[in-house]
Amino acid sequence: MSGFDNLNSGFYQTSYSIDEQSQQSYDYGGSGGPYSKQYAGCEYSQQGRFVPPDMMQPQQTYTGQIYQPTQAYPPPTPQTFYGDSFEEEPPLLEELGINFDHIWQKTLTVLHPLRASDGSIMNETDLAGPVVFCLAFGATLLLAGKIQFGYVYGISAIGCLGMFCLLNLMSMTGVSFGCVASVLGYCLLPMILLSSFAVVFSLQGMVGILLTATIIGWCSFSASKIFISALAMDGQQLLVAYPCALLYGVFALISVF
Amino acid sequence: MAYHSGYGVHGSKHRTRAAPNPPPLFDDTSGGYSSQLGGYPAPGADVAFNVNNLLGDPVANMAMAYGSSIASQGKDIVHKELHRFVSINKLKYFFAVDTAYVAKKLGLLVFPYTHQNWKVQYSHDVPLPPRKDLNAPDLYIPTMAFITYVLLAGMALGIQQRFSPEVLGLCASTALVWVLMEVLALLLGLYLATVRSELGTFHLLAYSGYKYVGMILSVLTGLLFGSDGYYVALAWTSSALMYFTVRSLRTAASGPDSMGGPTPRQHLQLYLTLGAAAFQPLIIYWLTFHLVR
Repeated sequence: MSGFDNLNSGFYQTSYSIDEQSQQSYDYGGSGGPYSKQYAGCEYSQQGRFVPPDMMQPQQTYTGQIYQPTQAYPPPTPQTFYGDSFEEEPPLLEELGINFDHIWQKTLTVLHPLRASDGSIMNETDLAGPVVFCLAFGATLLLAGKIQFGYVYGISAIGCLGMFCLLNLMSMTGVSFGCVASVLGYCLLPMILLSSFAVVFSLQGMVGILLTATIIGWCSFSASKIFISALAMDGQQLLVAYPCALLYGVFALISVF
Repeated sequence: MAYHSGYGVHGSKHRTRAAPNPPPLFDDTSGGYSSQLGGYPAPGADVAFNVNNLLGDPVANMAMAYGSSIASQGKDIVHKELHRFVSINKLKYFFAVDTAYVAKKLGLLVFPYTHQNWKVQYSHDVPLPPRKDLNAPDLYIPTMAFITYVLLAGMALGIQQRFSPEVLGLCASTALVWVLMEVLALLLGLYLATVRSELGTFHLLAYSGYKYVGMILSVLTGLLFGSDGYYVALAWTSSALMYFTVRSLRTAASGPDSMGGPTPRQHLQLYLTLGAAAFQPLIIYWLTFHLVR
């Protein structure tokens, strides 16, 4: 029994000296090398004395410390990257090039013949409105019992081509085909009103002729006003309005008869 | 007793050893791993971004270059073909009109008897454009009159319950063929008569196109006043157009040969002019009689 007590005292003194050494190394700078060596030495001495519990505890501590940064770091980076990419994308309508505000302003310009037209808006050529109006015109003709989609498309194409040639020959400044098609297409809107009337009433009397003439005048006046402002053809509005009246007259002919 | 004492010593030893362990181990390991983890996605993002740039820019540039080259080639081809057949500037001369000229010209076509000076005016050997010279021919009035005639034909047939969109194409084709035949006949006559004049193809096209103004007046009068009104209007417009044609063609055809006395060539020109003028009423009647009930 007394011998055992003496052995315990010796062990205590040995561990105390090891602690002092590790503290000194930490004070120096805490580099990995010396600490690893100290740890290895400590482990060796422990293995000599109490192997199982000393081995288990350091492993658990080391593993836990490794896992914490892994769980904490990765999530924010992908979210930030994805958020930036998504927020910087332009709106879908802007990417497709459809501007409903401009389409609405053009429609109002056509419906109000006496309203001063803004040249900058009309110079922006879009064919969405004209296509819709062309289809609406064909649909109203269909309601009246006339299947004339082919003729509507054909007359539209020939009319736009003819107006394009005429305006380029008459004006000093040139004009693009898209601009001509856009203006003529937008000014087709009152013609849809005429064909809508033709669904319900017959336009072959005197009242029908007056209504037809009024709407043709409305369409051609609006179109010529826009062309005059876009092409700077002063003093020639009547000369530009007349071919427009001829084109819309053909559409009216299809509506009435 | 001994076992208990040993356990106490073990606890004390563990507590003393645990004190210096956590800080350096945690700092070193987390720092190193953090740098590695930070480095891993960043190069990936850069690589992806670079790949997007590399794929986007060359394709876009290639597409733009290809499109612009195709457009320029097409434009060159169109211009070449157009200049081979038609001179755009020459056509622009015939379309250089204004409202005053059109109004006066229409008045002249309806009532040409009081007009005195029929010569085309020149400025430094270049004919004045229509907006400055009433006698200069233009193509605006013939073109508009032609389309108005087709539209009026459709309306007349519609009133007679005979309208369909096909008749518009039929009337346009018939009228166009008649105009082309007349222009070719006039060109042949001028060639056979060896007449040297300023009359070109567009001049003849303009003069033969003026008859559509008479057609429009005849058809409108027929629609408003019936068959009798049609014939009265037909007589009036035919005589006016014959007078207009004789004066215009004779003045234009005899321009450079005005010096000297009458020659067999001038007589031939006169017969050609009279023949062309006499042909106008026949065409007017042929193209309009079926439109009036």
